[in-house]
Amino acid sequence: MPGLVANFRELDRTVSAIKELQRKRLGNLTVYSPTIHHELEDAIEAPPSPVRRFTLIGGLCGVSFGYWVAIWTSDYWPLVVGGKAIASWIPYTIIGFEMMVMVGALSTVFGMFINSRIPKLVVDVAYDPKYSNGDYGIFVDCPPEKEKDAEGLFKAHGATEVRHAR
Amino acid sequence: MATMAEPVGPMRPNIPSADIQLPAIKDFEQVDNEIANTLKPTKAWFLGLMVAVGCMLIGASAWTFQVYAGLGNAGYVPPVMWGVYIITFVFWVGIGHAGTLISAILYLFRAGFRTTIYRASEAMTVFAVMTAGLFPIIHIGRPWKFFWLIPYPNWRLLWPNFKSPLVWDVFAISTYLTISTTFLYIGLIPDIAVIRDREKNPTRKLILSILSLGWKNTDREWRHFTRAYLFLAAFSTPLVLSVHSVVSFDFAMALTPGWHATIFPPYFVAGAIFSGFAMVWTILIPIRKWWKLEHYVTLNHLDATAKVVLFTSLVVGCAYLVEFWVAWYSGVKPEQEYFWNRVFGEWWWSAWIMLICNMVLPLSLFSQKLRRNTAWLFILSIFINIGMWFERFVIVVPSLSHEFEPWQWTTYVPSWIDMSFLIGSFGWFFMWFLLFIKQLPVMAIIEVKEIVPARRAAAGQGGHH
Repeated sequence: MPGLVANFRELDRTVSAIKELQRKRLGNLTVYSPTIHHELEDAIEAPPSPVRRFTLIGGLCGVSFGYWVAIWTSDYWPLVVGGKAIASWIPYTIIGFEMMVMVGALSTVFGMFINSRIPKLVVDVAYDPKYSNGDYGIFVDCPPEKEKDAEGLFKAHGATEVRHAR
Repeated sequence: MATMAEPVGPMRPNIPSADIQLPAIKDFEQVDNEIANTLKPTKAWFLGLMVAVGCMLIGASAWTFQVYAGLGNAGYVPPVMWGVYIITFVFWVGIGHAGTLISAILYLFRAGFRTTIYRASEAMTVFAVMTAGLFPIIHIGRPWKFFWLIPYPNWRLLWPNFKSPLVWDVFAISTYLTISTTFLYIGLIPDIAVIRDREKNPTRKLILSILSLGWKNTDREWRHFTRAYLFLAAFSTPLVLSVHSVVSFDFAMALTPGWHATIFPPYFVAGAIFSGFAMVWTILIPIRKWWKLEHYVTLNHLDATAKVVLFTSLVVGCAYLVEFWVAWYSGVKPEQEYFWNRVFGEWWWSAWIMLICNMVLPLSLFSQKLRRNTAWLFILSIFINIGMWFERFVIVVPSLSHEFEPWQWTTYVPSWIDMSFLIGSFGWFFMWFLLFIKQLPVMAIIEVKEIVPARRAAAGQGGHH
């Protein structure tokens, strides 16, 4: 998607530019920042991450599998001890717990990858290595007729550089 | 404002606020430059790596010989069929505890002092668990049969016994290794991207691009990253506490005197945190000194970790004393014999090494002056690690050699193969750790940047530009 990218040196200017862009609805935004800033999160107003659903489903699948494999094995290959249950849920809780953690954590990572769209196999034309160092960037995928408005807005908010990204 | 290396007053450092601020660090560029500087190899690093590889080769040679000549060459004398291998296994699992504790539990508790120390601790965890995982495989004598412990469909219709603590161990250790590695790697992704963007060598840049998965610092990536990191921390927290509990079940589930105690899980977990933090000092104190990172890992941070060590030392010391009390109060003769034998019997010296290193010397940390003395913390960390290895020796050897039947009582002398494995384990661990610190950032660049005030145009809002 073509659009405009603006570089910012300061956090507060980036935040004010984001708010203004959201208000004027010039296009979808992608914000680049060297680290996590709550100010940016608040300005972007993104919905909650769905990663938590992957965590929940993965954890439930893991714990179910852990108990199941232990109980199924005991029934399939019984080690009979007088007065003892063949499948005993208390020791199997350890297997259930470990599998819950293992599968739950790996599905969390899977959920993060899916939602963040990584690994990224294509070049991000808007990205500048400065964004991993100390600068901030805003990419807006606005149509050509709105580019002038976006450029003016970026400059008004103190962008150090505005360029086209295609 | 005082710098992080200097307390606000002579006796009362401003820990609640100072440990979450790094005033000696002015901006993001400084963070990138100073942490990336640790990636440049030095002569001391090469020397350290050579020593580590040399020690590792001693262990590898011993393993080759053992595979060829058989397990009979280890120092086992029935009924002492657990020796240096299992002692060293438990020791390294314990070392592996502090990393995830620092990165996960302290993250959930928002403990500021974790920020600059957690990456090295996490890496330490991964390599310590990798080291620990070798020992059960070495111990079974026929390492090529190890996969029999894993439950998988097979034509022999053989399945492991899920009521056995040894099978719990397989699940606990493999889960811990997987999750610790995942946690380390996920936290590293944005930092690898920073290193990738600074890299000039095209081959290294390509490798770093692959490892960073094309990370671009977008708001979408950060949003899902922070959630995933939080959930991983939430999963890792009970995992940390469970792993050494499960390892303690290897002992506590047996009827052997000195082992069959309900106190074992909390006692093992506290001991693991204690030894893990000591190993964090062993590796971090030289790193901060050699790469001049005293303004990152500050005296306030070390002071906070020293308090954790002091607290866990008191818990461990209390557990040692409670064990004696329980043996006396139980009225069980073999139990009482064992504990008498522990301190006055054949291995009295090992018990006293344990008690002095783990109970007595850490009491020095009541002194704030010593908590802020890096030379003393480094020396103490060595003593604690020696003491914690001997703790496991005291649990394993005197118990097995002095069980219920006097005719079974025997002695145990580790063979040269046992000691070669012990040396090899340190070589293996430090080899991986030294390779790690030369390839990837030893401190979390992204999290340090979270502490450093961002540039702001508005006056008086903490900007440095």
